[in-house]
Parts: sequence; structure tokens; C-alpha cells
Amino acid sequence: MDPVLIANGLNISFEIVTLALVAMGLAVTLGLLGVLNLAHGEFVMIGAFCAFFVQEQGLSYLWAFPLVVIVCIVIGWPVERSIIRALYSRPFDTILATWGLSLLLREIVEFFFGPGFNSVDQPVSGTVNIFGADYPLYQLLVMLVAVLLIGALVAWYVKSSTGRRIQALVDNPDLAKSVGIPTIALARNTFIFGLCLAGIAGVLLAPIVAVYPGMGIDHVLKSFFVLVVGGLGNVVGLVVGSGVIGGAESIVAAILDRTAGYTFVLIVALLFLWKKPGGLVSR
Amino acid sequence: MTDKPRHFSRRSVLAGLAGGASLMALPGGIGTAGASNPFKMGTFFSLSGPASLFGPTQTACNALAVDEINAAGGILGRSVQIVPGDGGAPPAEAAKTAVRMMLRDKVDVVVGSHDSAVRQAIVGALKGRIPYVYTPLYEGGECAPNTYVPADTPQQQVKPSINALHDMFGAKKIYLIGNGYVWPQQTNALAKRYIAEFGGSVAGEEYAPLGPGNKFDDAVTRIKNANPDLVLITLVGGDNVNFNRTFAGFGLDKNIKRLSLLLEELTLQGIGPKNGNGLFSCMSYFAAVDTPANNAFKARYAKKFGAKAPPLSMIGVDAYSGTNCAASLINKAGSTDAKAVMAASEGLQYKTATGTGTMTNRHVAKDMFLAEAKGAEFKIIKSFGKIEHGEKCSV
Amino acid sequence: MAWLAANLAFITAILVVLPQIVGDFWAFTLALFLLYAVACLGLGLSWGQAGLLSLGQGFFVGFSAYTSGLILIGFSASPWLFPLLGLSVIAPGLIAYFLGCMIFHGRAQNTAFFAIITLALILLAAQIATAWESVTGGYNGLRNIPGLPGFSELEDAYTVSAVALGLSMMFAAWIMQTPLGVLWRALSQDERRVAFLGFNHNQLKSVAFGLSGLFGGIAGTLYAPQNSLVTPDLFGFLLSTSFVVWVAIGGRNTLYGPVLGAIGIGLATNTLRESIGFWEVVLAVIFIVAVLYFRKGLTGTVEPAIKRRFERNDRVRKSAPERHSAMTFDRIDIENLNLSVGNVGILEDLDLTIGSPGIYCLIGPNGAGKTTIFNAMTGELEAQSGTVSMLGARGIKMDARTQTIAGLGRKFQVPSVFDELTVGENLAIALWSGRSSRRDLLRMSLLDWESPVLAELERRFPFLAGRRQMVGSLSHGQRQVLDLAMVLCTEPRLILLDEPCAGLSLAETNEVISTVRWAVDRFQATAMIIEHDMAMVRELADRVFVVHNGSMLFEGSVAEVQSNDAVQAVYTGIAK
Repeated sequence: MDPVLIANGLNISFEIVTLALVAMGLAVTLGLLGVLNLAHGEFVMIGAFCAFFVQEQGLSYLWAFPLVVIVCIVIGWPVERSIIRALYSRPFDTILATWGLSLLLREIVEFFFGPGFNSVDQPVSGTVNIFGADYPLYQLLVMLVAVLLIGALVAWYVKSSTGRRIQALVDNPDLAKSVGIPTIALARNTFIFGLCLAGIAGVLLAPIVAVYPGMGIDHVLKSFFVLVVGGLGNVVGLVVGSGVIGGAESIVAAILDRTAGYTFVLIVALLFLWKKPGGLVSR
Repeated sequence: MTDKPRHFSRRSVLAGLAGGASLMALPGGIGTAGASNPFKMGTFFSLSGPASLFGPTQTACNALAVDEINAAGGILGRSVQIVPGDGGAPPAEAAKTAVRMMLRDKVDVVVGSHDSAVRQAIVGALKGRIPYVYTPLYEGGECAPNTYVPADTPQQQVKPSINALHDMFGAKKIYLIGNGYVWPQQTNALAKRYIAEFGGSVAGEEYAPLGPGNKFDDAVTRIKNANPDLVLITLVGGDNVNFNRTFAGFGLDKNIKRLSLLLEELTLQGIGPKNGNGLFSCMSYFAAVDTPANNAFKARYAKKFGAKAPPLSMIGVDAYSGTNCAASLINKAGSTDAKAVMAASEGLQYKTATGTGTMTNRHVAKDMFLAEAKGAEFKIIKSFGKIEHGEKCSV
Repeated sequence: MAWLAANLAFITAILVVLPQIVGDFWAFTLALFLLYAVACLGLGLSWGQAGLLSLGQGFFVGFSAYTSGLILIGFSASPWLFPLLGLSVIAPGLIAYFLGCMIFHGRAQNTAFFAIITLALILLAAQIATAWESVTGGYNGLRNIPGLPGFSELEDAYTVSAVALGLSMMFAAWIMQTPLGVLWRALSQDERRVAFLGFNHNQLKSVAFGLSGLFGGIAGTLYAPQNSLVTPDLFGFLLSTSFVVWVAIGGRNTLYGPVLGAIGIGLATNTLRESIGFWEVVLAVIFIVAVLYFRKGLTGTVEPAIKRRFERNDRVRKSAPERHSAMTFDRIDIENLNLSVGNVGILEDLDLTIGSPGIYCLIGPNGAGKTTIFNAMTGELEAQSGTVSMLGARGIKMDARTQTIAGLGRKFQVPSVFDELTVGENLAIALWSGRSSRRDLLRMSLLDWESPVLAELERRFPFLAGRRQMVGSLSHGQRQVLDLAMVLCTEPRLILLDEPCAGLSLAETNEVISTVRWAVDRFQATAMIIEHDMAMVRELADRVFVVHNGSMLFEGSVAEVQSNDAVQAVYTGIAK
């Protein structure tokens, strides 16, 4: 096969997979709890800074994963308790409050780490040759981990009792409460789980991007479109949405330019809102 | 309907009677205050916004320069007082601040290090009524009256560096990548001329939009297919970091040299020590410049700000040179009168961090350096000496 | 009117006095923030009134700033200059309106996505403004824009902005008072109810969004000549989100809140971020606290209290016109209706026929599918198969709005009244249903409408005459009654009531029963009532339908139902 084609295919795949990776946590909080977390990008940023911090301390990159989970729980618990819980029934106010939270988190991280750029070394370096195309080994690993994570999410959501309980919670909060599902604890855990997914995405992306307090918006924006296109129903929608958004943008950007690619994504999202407001894969 | 408020001057009289505000001096008549009055210098540094990582260094370097100027007798015999403004604010707000500085605070000179949009807003607000010194690197072409630009110009950056890399590595086939706005486009237009001059070719040219950060996997793949000898990078900020990390990640750093024209110490920190192989930068200042002047400057800086001093980088240290430039300019002119200052600017010599600058056509010929990234730091490869700016503003 | 006049005087006085207080140079800076205040006022209309949060208000400011700049550069000397500038004011309004039509067309889940789309819009605009250098001047912006001819640059900047803001505030004060404003506020509380009162809720939202665009257009058109430079910063995330913060803290629901927020916090930010390094943190915390605990912002409690003092009690009531639809009785035929949600079947081959006017009660155990029948009839839920014929139409393709206009009146199980409006406004909205044209919604006289039906209802339930009372302060029973009164004010021919007496006292229950009977006789209407209380069923029902497991189990008179064994077998929960 043509190495150029392979290389382009790998690039588009990486775009789609990372998109799904970042959108995953957002899909959990928005799809299951109806909370549009505008601070999602900041948790990706916090994940990246966890990787940076671990490296600064001379520890192995892998320590960043437990660290980010702890950090997300430590931040997420009081945030859910004090801000999110009061707003489950007020979707617009959640947007506002989480947006305020995003400002706050950026400023806090800036206070500790400064406003400048930081770098995280790739835990594995070098490239591998895939059918004639050289591709960074680390990015290959990121794709693999992301696909495993998405698979695990599907399995967890479909098989586990927590998944079923969340489904019940989503379908009918009052009923869920009346049959004894602890909605408050479940909602809180779901919210924190969404944050952890964002943080893990940040840890995974840190070795390939610029790590700085304002990086959140870079990574989170297209995720919203993924959810618009894919629908909020389930993980299949997430994958489909990522494919449509990531694929469409990459292709249009390659043919015309990046601004055209971005415009196209916006138009696709608008058309979906207009003609198919439930997304491709509705609940 | 609202009543139309009376004209400014009439209301000022009323306000003056009531509360003590003074009569407004109209444009042009910036008062020659008594010698005991401080000489007011308005500054626009990046206190907020995306460039705010440079703000602390800019403020510190400005303060150091002011200390030294005051120790040497001040400007026109008056000691310098800073009136701070935010150069990271939106242009419209910066313009309002500039007008306020000019009319209410009655600043005598304005020094700024910020982006070009804010520069144009300030130029539009001041309208040449007080001298304005703009210091960071920029795309060239600013010839507004009473505006002085000791900034690095594309000619100063591109011409020596691209020729040097051609000589050193035989780089002939060059790929251009930048953000889609005026500075990269002007710089690349000039670069193409120099590439043609030594018989090189352009392997590709592309621009990524400013805004939320871009990914560069596809661009790097295109560069790999084009197989150039050198990539000329005019990406800024986070995009510059992302591109260079991806470039090295794909292993292209082994065979292809890179020249990035807005690459100083803070951006290099983001690119990381392992991704800087074959990455060059060309500017008028690097902290690593090993000359007596720079070593003395660094010593003075360290003495004033101690261990917690903001890191030195080209954008930041420009405020030091720019402040000195403003002081020398007005001392030479002997007044802040626009005509006198314009006339004094031609041939002006002033102190920079690395030596002296010479102003002609309201731009500055200065020492330029080629540096290569070595780990987390720059290593000076070549000192080009004084390079002409190539701008043609009349005086 | 008194309120409008008071505003006129107050706004004028403030704008004249302000420069004296802050001094000339701050007044010059203020000129910019007064324009931002106009944009915030627009955001206040769409968000505070109609409940639409836009994160991209800067799009409209930026759009018209660019068009205004281009017009001033190209046509500065032309006699067409001012008409063209007028276009640049209107254009963003039209864009917003049509964008709104498009986004609101879809029915599901669009609240959050609306915010995201507006956010995406500014980011896209910023990229285009930066990239399209030949027209927009690119990153460095559109330069050397001449000022408005006849206005001086420094001295008149404040005047022009102040006049623009003054006029905009007057317009906003007026439109918030009109029936349209009342409907927007109703919409932001309970959109479904507005649709079930026969209003085109999507269009109402689009109009609100369009007006917010128009206000952005005013701000942008004046921004260009005042600043002589237009850069992509206007499309920046920062500016648009600042608008939201200013409006939220100032008070989104009021006239003065957005203005106060823009001027106060905008100016404070302009000054303090140079001296206070952590200003942004302070602002973020204030913002979060405001969202959580002070949803009404700084002005939210003060302004309505002042406003109430200006309202007169003794308004002259005018009689409302006849309702457009004078439909006579039409059969209801439901055949073979199958409806399931997810994997759960709710209705199975349900048949129901009503051949003559009267009161029909639907009874059946919990979960039998009674409410679902109503939902299927009114298009809330989509049936998989089967047909419904009613109100002169066959098959459910009508939406709630069209059905209401055709003579439907539906009362939900929970009282769906607008808590943050007065009793009078709630009833007025019901009176406008089917009686008002679009243009009528701008006439203040609609607020004083009365009808014979309303007069009778006020006689039966005297609390309804206390028109200025806020609905939020009513008891549960009163809210149930108000909800029913609103349904009856629309003079429906088909009345669907879901447990109208739940939570009522005995006296209230009796009055409601007699009122329903009175209404059915008066309108020659058909009433379908879901009811659990057999005592009530005995009182009310001409005929009873027993629903069980999503199918029709039995149909007959009260006596027949009570003596039927099959009914008794499955339906033991209700005492004889």
C-alpha cells in the first residue's frame, strides 16, 4: 500500500481517537447527568499538569494515572457537593457555574506552575514503521489505550449494575429514587468519574502537546460537536460522532484549509441541530 | 431622550469649580511642566491575556532601565515615573487607556511591548501627539508619525539566519509554515526573496489559523513527503510548541533542520529538551549571549530582582532596550515636541542589553544572533553583528 | 406607562450626570462600556427574559462593527451612508432571528447546545476575520475607519454612546412590558405550557434572539467609528463571556442589571486588572456565587419592588375579542393505538370513541397508561401504530400549539403555572391564546383584557381577582385552580384534565367540579378527565372508560362500571 495513504490514515485515526478520548468524560457527564461541564477542558489540563508534576519529581510517567484520579476526586467531590448538585435541574446555570469553575481552575494552576509552557517527555520515544509509514510509537500507544478505554466504558455501561443503575437514573430520576437507587451518591460518583476520564485524557495527551494553564479550550471545543452529532445516548454515538467530526474536518482541511475544515464542522453541527436534534445515535 | 452633554471643555470648567479637576490641555499642547515634576512614562506590557507569560519580565526589565536612567539624571533632568497600562487588553480598551494616559495623566512618552493590533489601536489613539516606542519583534512597516520601533524586523531575522543555515548545512529546499496572520506572511514573503537569491526553492508553504491550538500531524506528514532541507517556522505560542513536539515525535528532526523565528526561552521550555534537535532561532537577544555587555546586564538584573527574577527572554528584555531608547531619544531631542523628537531619532545611539542600537528611519540596526536549542537552553552559534532593519520610514 | 416615564426620566438624568461624577476622561472610556452595555442589554433580553443563554453575543457586535467599518471606509461621503449604517444595525438581528429559527426547530435537548453553537459561532468568526485579510484586514484589523461625519472624535464619543444606550434602554423597557415580554418570561419558566396555550414558542424564542442580535448590531455599528479600528478581538471568547459575567452579576432579568454590570464591572476590570493581579479570580468567585445563590443578580430584587410601586391598581379592563376558532363538536376516534417507550409497551391496541359532548372520566390503576393516552393525543409521545382523529383532523401530526388553536385545552397533573409572573399575567396569557395576532403582542392594552368566562371564574374563585399577586406565593390548591382557570379561559372544545382535584380541599373540590360542569355546558365541550377518586367520578362522569395494561377494559356509565365483574377483578384499589 501507498505509505502516504497509510500515513494519512493513521493521522485521521489519531485525530478521531483522541477526539473520542477527550469527549468521553464529557459524554458521561452530559449524557448521563445532563450537566454540560464547561470546565471539562480544565480537567484535561489538570491531567497534563499531573504528568508534568510527576516528571518534575523524577518519578515514572505511569504515576501520573493514580495521581490524576486522586486529584480529580479531591477537586470533584467538593465541586459536586457545593456547585453541581444544586444545579442538576438548571442546565443553563450549570454551564455558567462550570464556566466560572474553569476560570478558577486555570488561575489556581497558574498560581502554582506559572503561565508559561511546560513540556512532558514521551515515556517511549522513537517511531515504528507501519507498512512503510514511520509513526511515533507513543501516539500508537495512545490510540491503543484510548480504544481500550472506550471498550471498557462500553462493557462497564452495558454489563455492570452501576451502568444499569445510571440508565435507570437517566430514564427516570424519581423512579430510580423510589426503587432505592441512591441517586445522590450515584450522581456524584458519575460526575467524578467523568472528571477522571478527562484527567486521564490529559495525562495521555501531555507528552505530545504544549502543557500550559490555558490549554483546556484547545482540546475540549470539538468534543461538544462530537456530542451534537453523535447524540447523548451511548458510547456508540460517541465513536460515530468522533468519526464524523474528526474525519470531516481532516478531509476538508486537507482539501482546502484548516479554516474551511473548522467551518465545515460548525455547519455539520448546525445541520444536525436543525434536522436531527437527537444526534445520530439517540437514546 | 437623553440630553446631549455639554462640550468637554465647558464641563471641565464646571467640574474644576466644583471639585478641582484641571482644565484639559488640548492635543499638541502637552505642558512643559516644572523641573520638579516627574517625567511620566506610560507603559503597555502584557499584564493579561495569552501573552501574559512575558509580562513579569517586561515589567522587571522596564523597572531596571528606569532605575538606571534615574541614577544617570533622568529624562530632561526629571526623574522617570511609570504609568502602567495593560497591553494584553483588547485593542479598544488599550486605546481608551492610551487617551487617558495622554490627556489626564499627561504622560510624556509611551513605551509598549504587545501585539500589532494593540499597537495600531495605540497609534490611532495617540495620533503622533506624544512619542511612542514599540519594542518586540514585528512584521515591519510601521511608519506612523512620532512612532519609534526598535523591534526586530523580518529582514533582520530572516536574511542573516537563512543565509547562515544555507552556508552551514547547504539548506536549499525550504518549507514555510506559520500562523495565518500578517507577521508570518510578511516574513515569508521576504524569506522567499532571500531563498531565490541563493538559488534555493520553496518546498511548500502553509498557514494554520490563530485561535484554539492546532494539531500538526498532517502538516508534519506533508513536510515529510516534501522532504525539505529546512523548515522555516513562523508559528507562535502554543502552536509553535505543538508543531515542534509533533515534528520531533515523527522523527523528522534527524534529517531536517528547523528555524523558528519567534522562539525564545519560554517557548523552548514548552517544546522540551528532547525535541530541540536541529532547531534554530534568530533574534536580537538570547539570555545565553556571552558578551561583556549582556553579562553585565544579567548581573544587574540578578542583583535587583534576586533569585526569583522572571526568566530573561527576547520578549521582555525588549522592554529594557525600549525604555532606554525612549530616554535617549528625548534627552537628545531636548523636549517632547514631536518635530524635535522625530529629528533626533535619526542616528540616535542608545544602550541595549547586549550593546548599543542605532536608529535610522525610526527603526534600529542591532546585533543579531543565531542560536541552536541544546537541551533546555540556547547555544549561540553565530553572532552576525549589526544588521540593517530594511525599513524606510521618513523622519 | 408610569413605569416607562419614570425610566425615561431616570435614564436621562443618569446619563447626563455620569460624566460630571467620573470626569471627562473616564467618560471617554465609558463611551466604550456604554456600547458594551447596549450589547449586554440585548443579552439580557434573550437570556434574562426568554431564557436563552448565548455565549456568543460578541458575534453580533463584531459582525456589525466590521460591516459598519467597511461602510464608513467605502461610503464616508455618500448620501447613502446613514441608510447603509442602518442596514449594518439590522443585519445581525436578522441573522440571529434566522439562526434561532434553525436551532429551535429541533425539539430535543437544545438548551445546552444553543450555548455551544453560539460559542462556536464566535470562534469561527474570529478565524474568518483573521484569515480573510483582503476584506477584514486580518489579525491587525480594519484600520483608519473614519468617524461619523459631523461628530468629533473625543468630545462626542460619550454623547453618541449615551444616546444609543438611552434609546436602547427605552426600547428594552417598553418591550419587556409588552405582552411579548410577558410571554418570554413565561417561556423561560415553562416552555411546554406556553406551547399548550397556543403560542409558537420557537418563534417567540427566535424573536428574542433576533432582538439580542439587533442590540449587538447597534453596539457594533457605533463601535467602529468610535474606535477607528476593528480587530478580531470582538469575536474573542473573552469579550462574549465577559458579557455573560456582567449580565449575571448585574441581574439578568431586569432592565438595569445588564447595564449596571457592563458599566460597573467592565470599568472595574479595565482599571483593576492593572493593579490587582488576582482580579480574575475574584471575578470568577463572585460569578459562581452569583449563579448559585443570587440568580437575580444585584438588581434582581430591588428593581421589581420599585417597579411595583409604579403600577396602578385601577386599570380599566377591556373586553377581549371573540376567540377565532368557533369549532363545534367533533368526534374523537382512537383506533388500535400502540405506543412503547424503549422496550416498555405502554399502550396496546387501544380503542376509544367519543360520539357526543359531555364529561368522560378515564380510570384505571397506576401505570395503566391513562396519561400516556393524553400524551399520544397531543403529540407529546409518538405512537408506533394506530390513528387518532379529533378536532377535525385525522392522525396526530399537529403540534400542541395548533391543537390549542383548534380548541384543545390540556391541564397537566402538576400545576403548570408561571410562578414568577402575577396571577393577572398568567390569566392574561390564557386570554391571548387564539385571540391575539402577532402584532397584538406589542399592544399594552392586551394586559387589561377580560372576558365573560374570566369574570365568572373570578366570581367562583375570588383569589383570581387579586391580579397583582405573584403566583409563586399561592397555595398548592390555588395553583391547581389557576391552572384550570387558564385552560378554561382559552374556551376549549376539547378539555383534557389530569387529576384536576389532586391536593384540593373539599370545598375547593366541589367548586372545581361545578366549574368543570359549567364550562362543558357553556362551551358545548368534551371533557376527558383522569381521576382516581370514585366519589368525584360519580359526581362528574357522563361516561367512564376503564383502562388497564394499556388497553380499554370497559366502557359504560358509572353504575355499569361499578357493577362490572371484570373491572372489579383488576381494579380493587378503589372502594365502592
